[in-house]
Amino acid sequence: MQDAFHAFVLHSEATKPPIMLDAKENPDADESAPPLTDEQLMVAFARGSSDAFTSLFQRYKRPLFGFIRRHVPDPAQAEELTQETFLAVLRAGSRYQACALFRTWLYAIGFKILRTHLRKAAFRAMFWGSQPESSEPSAASTIDTEILVRQAVGKLDSVDREILMLREFEQLSYAEIAELCGLPLNTVRSRLFRARMALHDLLAAPAPQPQAKELAEFEERI
Amino acid sequence: MTATTHPVSPEDVMAWLDGELSQAEARAVSEHLDQCSECTKLAEQFRSTSQSLSVWSVPEVPSSLYESVSKLAATTASAAKRTKPARYMSASSWSWNLRTIGGAGAVTALLALSAVTSAIWFQSGKPITDQQSKVFKDKNKPLEGESRALDSLVTLTRPGVAADSNGLFHGLGDHVQNSFSIDGQALSAPAPMIARTASLIIVVKDFAASRASLDTILARHHGYSAQLAVSTPENAPRSFQASIRVPAPELSSAVGELKTLGRVENESQSADEVTQQHTDLTARLKTSRETEARFEAILQQRTGNVAEVLQVEEGIARVRGDIERMETEQTALEHRVDFVTVEIQLSEEFKAQLNAPSASVSNRIHNAFVAGIRNASATLLGIVLFFEEYGPMLLIWLAILSLPVLHVWRRYRKARGQF
Repeated sequence: MQDAFHAFVLHSEATKPPIMLDAKENPDADESAPPLTDEQLMVAFARGSSDAFTSLFQRYKRPLFGFIRRHVPDPAQAEELTQETFLAVLRAGSRYQACALFRTWLYAIGFKILRTHLRKAAFRAMFWGSQPESSEPSAASTIDTEILVRQAVGKLDSVDREILMLREFEQLSYAEIAELCGLPLNTVRSRLFRARMALHDLLAAPAPQPQAKELAEFEERI
Repeated sequence: MTATTHPVSPEDVMAWLDGELSQAEARAVSEHLDQCSECTKLAEQFRSTSQSLSVWSVPEVPSSLYESVSKLAATTASAAKRTKPARYMSASSWSWNLRTIGGAGAVTALLALSAVTSAIWFQSGKPITDQQSKVFKDKNKPLEGESRALDSLVTLTRPGVAADSNGLFHGLGDHVQNSFSIDGQALSAPAPMIARTASLIIVVKDFAASRASLDTILARHHGYSAQLAVSTPENAPRSFQASIRVPAPELSSAVGELKTLGRVENESQSADEVTQQHTDLTARLKTSRETEARFEAILQQRTGNVAEVLQVEEGIARVRGDIERMETEQTALEHRVDFVTVEIQLSEEFKAQLNAPSASVSNRIHNAFVAGIRNASATLLGIVLFFEEYGPMLLIWLAILSLPVLHVWRRYRKARGQF
């Protein structure tokens, strides 16, 4: 039983390599020497190594873009925010101190930029209405499921939703989420538990028939 | 599931799945899961929930991101100048548009402001009376051209101003050098008409004697007092305020004598030139008189029905009223010039005296208490009256303004919820 569960353990260290590292794109992958840690690469970048930053970028471009993309419906805006985050890393590279994990630091920057963007977007939507949500083409079989999942996540409390997404998609540890959101560790744990239970109830509930307007919009998007 | 029946909490199960437990805690949870089907089911539930989220996929990272950021990395690492990538600028098009809209809005606001200011400035100019509008009906045509066909020019009592029988006049402006009297000689420049005022504050030792001296001075210089006020408060210096009028030629000597009454604390004089005002008034008066004469001539020479006769008589009455009003203004204006207004204030040098003791402390406390009660009740009453008077209006405005505010707030919350 234990071995069976270990196969599904969502430990960040267990899942981080396939998500965070892209072996094909990682330039510092060396068969003989172990790859440098994020913090070592950041220190090297602070000393002027552009290759170090390239390695960091290759490691985190996909998770960071995914993190932002799940919050921002417009792909161009998500790309811009991702670029802005790496730009901030570039500018602050010389001031980086290896007192915290690079990943936490990077997500803190991205989180701040994302919140600023969302606040501005909400303010603009207050006067000009929200922009139509664009989406990438998806397989037809997963459309309904994805819509249901996104709707269920959207119904969660905003803080619970953020914690859940940071855990499920970004595989951040509880401590990293607590530092990122400025919450106590136990609060993060209880809120994550609450979010998962609520999400399970929402997904287990009979799926409401999508309204004609929503279906039309979604079909138009794809 | 409680702690009494299960040695581990549901949150521990979740934390075990997330790998957030220590080795000992993880072993305890694992052993419990081997024995407890309920907790196993809960763990399975967590796992299925996590798996269901995997359908929420995101597309691949755009290739342009790698290019732009790589270029930035190379630029920054080589300590070269840090320039923003072209992509970054283009992606910020919304901000650029906002700046453009803001700039255009500011320019539009400035233009609107200047237009409104110009309109107000033009409207605030000197109003043109009906008579003047008749005179200046064609600005492009010189006044001399209108007067060319006239038989004669009439010189008014005041020098420098001439008016013809049609109401066209030559004042002190640009046309004065082209104005001629009846004998064809150029009119001389008019003497300026100046309305003077003076102010004196004098501290005197003998208050009663100073008042008597003031009356004497006024009589000697043929002046009079237009306004007079005497204040004699208790335990305070007495004061005397008067507004006296003295003939303009007597001003210097009269003021000189007034200064001898005591110590001068403040002295000021001012002058207001009313020449232009008087000239305009005189010309308008002349025109109105001629209009009245024409009305009377029409009434005597022409015949018509009763309505027409009444209309002419109404015109005569209106013009007569204007004439009388302007004559009064002219008289007052000339009086201002002929008599100088002197505001004088005499204050007594006060020597405080030891008076009887004032009210007792208890009385003063009582009085202060009563005054405080009165002030508090007056304040409360004022608040009640304010809300009685303006409350309904405030409620109406609150109801009107709350709707758009509520609407905007809901849209903001909705927009935040979408993200």
